[in-house]
Amino acid sequence: MDPIVACRGLSKTFGKGELAVHALRDVDLDIMPGDIATLAGPSGSGKTTLLNMIGALDEPTSGEVSVDGQPLGGLSRSRLSELRLSKIGFVFQSYNLIPVLSARENIEFVLQLQGVSTGERRNRALEALKEVGLAGMEDRRPGKMSGGQQQRVAVARALVSRPSIVLADEPTANLDTRNALELVDLMRNLNREHGTTFLIGTHDVRVMEHSMRHIEMVDGRIDSDARGSA
Amino acid sequence: MIDGFKTMLPLAWRNLWRNPRRTGITLIVVAIGLWSILFFNAFMIAWAESSKETTLRLLLGSGQIHAEGYMDDPSVEALMNPPDQDLASALDAPAVADWTTRVVVPGVVQSEYKTLPATIVGVDPMAEARISSIPGKIAEGRYLNSGDDDSVVLGLHMVERLKTGLGRRVILMSQNAEGAMSEQSFDVVGIYDADKATEDLYVFTGRAASQKFLGLEGEIAQVVFVLKEEMALEDAVAALADAAPALDVRSWKDLNLFLASMDSYMGVFIQIWLGIVFALMAIGIVNTQLMAVFERTQEFGLLRALGMKPGRVLLMVAIENALLIGVGVLLGMVLAAVTIWSVSDGIDFSAFARAMEMVQTGEIIYLDYEPDAFILFPGLIWLLGMLVALWPAGRAAKCRPVEAMRRET
Ligand SMILES: Nc1ncnc2c1ncn2[C@@H]1O[C@H](COP(=O)(O)OP(=O)(O)O)[C@@H](O)[C@H]1O
Ligand SMILES: [Mg+2]
Repeated sequence: MDPIVACRGLSKTFGKGELAVHALRDVDLDIMPGDIATLAGPSGSGKTTLLNMIGALDEPTSGEVSVDGQPLGGLSRSRLSELRLSKIGFVFQSYNLIPVLSARENIEFVLQLQGVSTGERRNRALEALKEVGLAGMEDRRPGKMSGGQQQRVAVARALVSRPSIVLADEPTANLDTRNALELVDLMRNLNREHGTTFLIGTHDVRVMEHSMRHIEMVDGRIDSDARGSA
Repeated sequence: MIDGFKTMLPLAWRNLWRNPRRTGITLIVVAIGLWSILFFNAFMIAWAESSKETTLRLLLGSGQIHAEGYMDDPSVEALMNPPDQDLASALDAPAVADWTTRVVVPGVVQSEYKTLPATIVGVDPMAEARISSIPGKIAEGRYLNSGDDDSVVLGLHMVERLKTGLGRRVILMSQNAEGAMSEQSFDVVGIYDADKATEDLYVFTGRAASQKFLGLEGEIAQVVFVLKEEMALEDAVAALADAAPALDVRSWKDLNLFLASMDSYMGVFIQIWLGIVFALMAIGIVNTQLMAVFERTQEFGLLRALGMKPGRVLLMVAIENALLIGVGVLLGMVLAAVTIWSVSDGIDFSAFARAMEMVQTGEIIYLDYEPDAFILFPGLIWLLGMLVALWPAGRAAKCRPVEAMRRET
């Protein structure tokens, strides 16, 4: 089976000379279809930086990332946008949603960018909201939803475009335990039922406990990579 | 693309009202700017129209006819005979509302205290009253009774300068038909109140009286005519010129170049004003919209991360700006329309007009809607506003997708 994400010799250095920060040092990593993997490690170990590289949000200093066999190096901004739109779903720690759009409109937004027709957009958005347990909340704006609900909308949006992989960076950091566990359960179920691939950057043990694969980072390197059965 | 517009329009509209204070400021800047342009434009046009009317009604008429050479050297040597058959019938044509003849020669007016240069005008008072506003501007005494009336009517300011007054006598001097100096004393029977420049220049007496004084045998200096329709000016002047090929027929535009150039002066003034207002508006728009973009860096990052292309981000912000400036423009148009409507009974400038007597203006100015201006200026402001707003929109499009990952600290 081909990996969905393949990183080879990935390095990222911020700044120059004395002040240079080596956020990633020669990282090799494969994410396989159907993985639900946590990327753990102390603060500053390079989790976010690695997710940025995989998500085509930033460019590595050296090394190569491929998504679905497509190397990202050398692609234009516009092509990278298309790749993110079609292959990658994002769940960020905060500021996930467009504040002036309702839950449904936020989800429809990516479908609209993909050129999906109005009717199908609506159906798929409502379906996705139901899936994350937010049926009936479709007309709420983010400001009128709890943190947990907002993260669920973000998950619904990440899924609705049927991406190859969902990247989540500290998705539970702003949630209380109950909401955090519910969000983890949700992702776990989506993974089991639809085979959605997740890569979750976190230092939240509540999340790690539910992952099938646990990747530990230290100082910009992958320290350990273990498969378990959660 | 059309579909993209349809979804982006409501998004852009909602984004506008996220910071009502800032949106409000931009709206006010655009609306007041456009309002001032539309209002000043209407005001300047009305002002010019009014001052033109006033000047034409004072003495100028719609046009005048002189002997060839009189305009270059307006003296007793360049006079003409009263209109002959051909010219008289042309002057009685329906296009001409009224006409009269005058003797107009340079001269001197002298009191016990002072001697001042003056233009001596001999008029037929009855006809003059139908053509000129001066007979109606008598402040003291009376206007002339007939063409034979050998008294004078002086301007208020000239009376002050001569230190003379009603019932006193002044001496008029001028070169006569024989080339010698004529000198005769006249009773001051009336004082007129116009603007200072007119008051200082024109001294009126009866036409026949002036001819006698100058030793003339019925010669006159000019025919003044007033048209029914200002629109017919060129045609009427041409018809009169045909009827009097040996004479110098001119419209007011050729007689008063200053007045004729008013229009273009005004155009320049409006353009300067437009430039100033636009510069201020541009600063306001760019400032507020740049601020708005900087505040939303993370949001634009999110949009880029989700797969929105930079061009789309630019388009979205451009639509926001188009709506914002569009609403401001509409507001400004309504404001200007309401202002113009509210003064449609005329603005009374009598006090102001007295203070600025050098500019001959009607005392009440009537503003009018200029449909062209209400299309041109709003369109211009809207277009130019969107153009400068491309700068902040470009900044928004440059926001990097990695900003989306940045967590709030
Ligand atoms: N834009 C940046 N400029 C400079 N240094 C950065 C930048 N982003 C991340 N870093 C540095 O890179 C290292 C890794 O950061 P990050 O990937 O955010 O770690 P984690 O997500 O594991 O906390 C840290 O030392 C951080 O300070
Ligand atoms: Mg991080």
